[in-house]
Amino acid sequence: MLRDPLTKWLWDGRRSLLGWALAVVVLGAGYAAFWPTIDSPAMRDALANYPEALLEALNYTDIATPDGYLSATVYGLVVAILLLVYGIGAGARTIAGDEEAGTLDLVLAHPVSRLRVALQRFGALVISIVLLNLALLVSLLAISGPVGLDGITLGEYAAMHTHLVLFAALFAAVSYGVGAAFGSRAAAIAAGAAVAFLGYLANGVLPQVDGLEWTRNLSPFHWLTGGNPLRNGIQAGDLLIMLGLIVLLVVLGTWRFERRDVAV
Amino acid sequence: MTDIAIRTQGLVKTYGKTRGLAGLALEVQTGEVYGFLGPNGAGKTTTIRLLLDLIRPTSGSAQVLGIDPQVEGVALRARTGYLAGDFLVDGRQTGRQLLTYLGNLRGGVSKDRIGALAERLDLDLDRKIKGLSRGNRQKIGVVQAFMHDPELLILDEPTSGLDPFLQQEFAKMAREATADGRTVFMSSHIMSEVQQVADRVGIIREGKLVTVERVEDLRERSMRKVVIQFAAPVPAEEFASVPGVRDLTIDGAVLRCRLDGMADTLVKAAARHTVVTLSIEEADLEELFFHHYANHGEAGDAA
Repeated sequence: MLRDPLTKWLWDGRRSLLGWALAVVVLGAGYAAFWPTIDSPAMRDALANYPEALLEALNYTDIATPDGYLSATVYGLVVAILLLVYGIGAGARTIAGDEEAGTLDLVLAHPVSRLRVALQRFGALVISIVLLNLALLVSLLAISGPVGLDGITLGEYAAMHTHLVLFAALFAAVSYGVGAAFGSRAAAIAAGAAVAFLGYLANGVLPQVDGLEWTRNLSPFHWLTGGNPLRNGIQAGDLLIMLGLIVLLVVLGTWRFERRDVAV
Repeated sequence: MTDIAIRTQGLVKTYGKTRGLAGLALEVQTGEVYGFLGPNGAGKTTTIRLLLDLIRPTSGSAQVLGIDPQVEGVALRARTGYLAGDFLVDGRQTGRQLLTYLGNLRGGVSKDRIGALAERLDLDLDRKIKGLSRGNRQKIGVVQAFMHDPELLILDEPTSGLDPFLQQEFAKMAREATADGRTVFMSSHIMSEVQQVADRVGIIREGKLVTVERVEDLRERSMRKVVIQFAAPVPAEEFASVPGVRDLTIDGAVLRCRLDGMADTLVKAAARHTVVTLSIEEADLEELFFHHYANHGEAGDAA
């Protein structure tokens, strides 16, 4: 450890990462453990009486199947929001937070390029997102048997997690990019939060209005679970959009960071 | 290898409407300790951060160890050590962890070297940094700046927060560095902080270099306070004409004056009488510095 900016970033964030892993596991597996209450005749009757529009807004149309339930609650909502909050916070800390704390100067006064520091730190951030995903996957696999969430293959889980990693990395890239470009932690967090809020609206609320169904296609939430990777496997189009945006944001933010003044 | 460690020409840095530097021309020779003096806000930190490529000049050029910081910053920073007056780091790590990491960014610095420096400064490396006093935190900064024996040390108000004993030790370390042919560039807003270490001082004001002086010349030129008590009253005219004597007053058997330059003639003149006590107070460079500075300042304002 402590070899380079990548390992240092992970080492510095180890306690925080452990806390997030705990939160993801407790809330993710906790929601999954409620599956038996949904998978009951009484609940199915109750859901049948809900207005279709409400179910759609909540992404609950498919909720009575194991993959539909996990998509709507765990992957599409609870863990998605946890990970996007983690991504935004960690992305803002990576350059802008360190800079505002006045601690970035010291590292940049060493023989490392800004490019190397920035990209290694973002790489470390992506690794931490993968680790959080692994924690969730392992805990879901462990409880899926006991609570009867069956019928989902490991390959389908892997596809879902590939989408989730890129989803969280996308929000991390927004706040990383804005923070690296402008050196403001507040702006970085605001940008991430704005994308999250608008993305949520565009996926669940705006499509209820006639003529605005298309907004769904612009939402990261749609790219995450819209194609239902838990049932249909990898959705290449959604992954490519997210990957493309991540690359674009990282390149632009880093490019600007290399050329601007580092604040005291 | 060149004889000039740092050279800047017409260095200008503007922040929006305010000017950080207004055409700074610096020349620091290899192997010297250069004191970079000026009040807060004069542009000292701006200059230093330009030299390390943490910020970029609006115009003008800088050559550090023969390298343009903007072109080969990484290669340059491998050969420099940097210490900020306010040494800020994440407090949730120990000094040893931080120094190991920073050493690794430089391709590795031996544990023994870090340990020896820490011992010399009486620094506990195994405590969390947030639990350290400001002075002890600053010591970690001193260690990281010196530990790889850089060719050029760039120190921004390095001894602020250090106690007098450590200031002494720091001065010794700076001297040892130059004895090895290395260069020290240190800023300060207090003359006394640099006068014991520096070979030359450059004075910066409002983003411009006002003057550069050898500390020795300053000391020689500066006035010393002389008080001589004689056994009996002495005639004033005998001393009034002595070269270098200023502000002479004779109060019975006690002579007071300021002395500019050599003491020889005054001592010989005094030796013709019976001298009871003789005191010559060392030059107060601080006073001289601000005197000098104020004059230049007025000239600058008038222009």
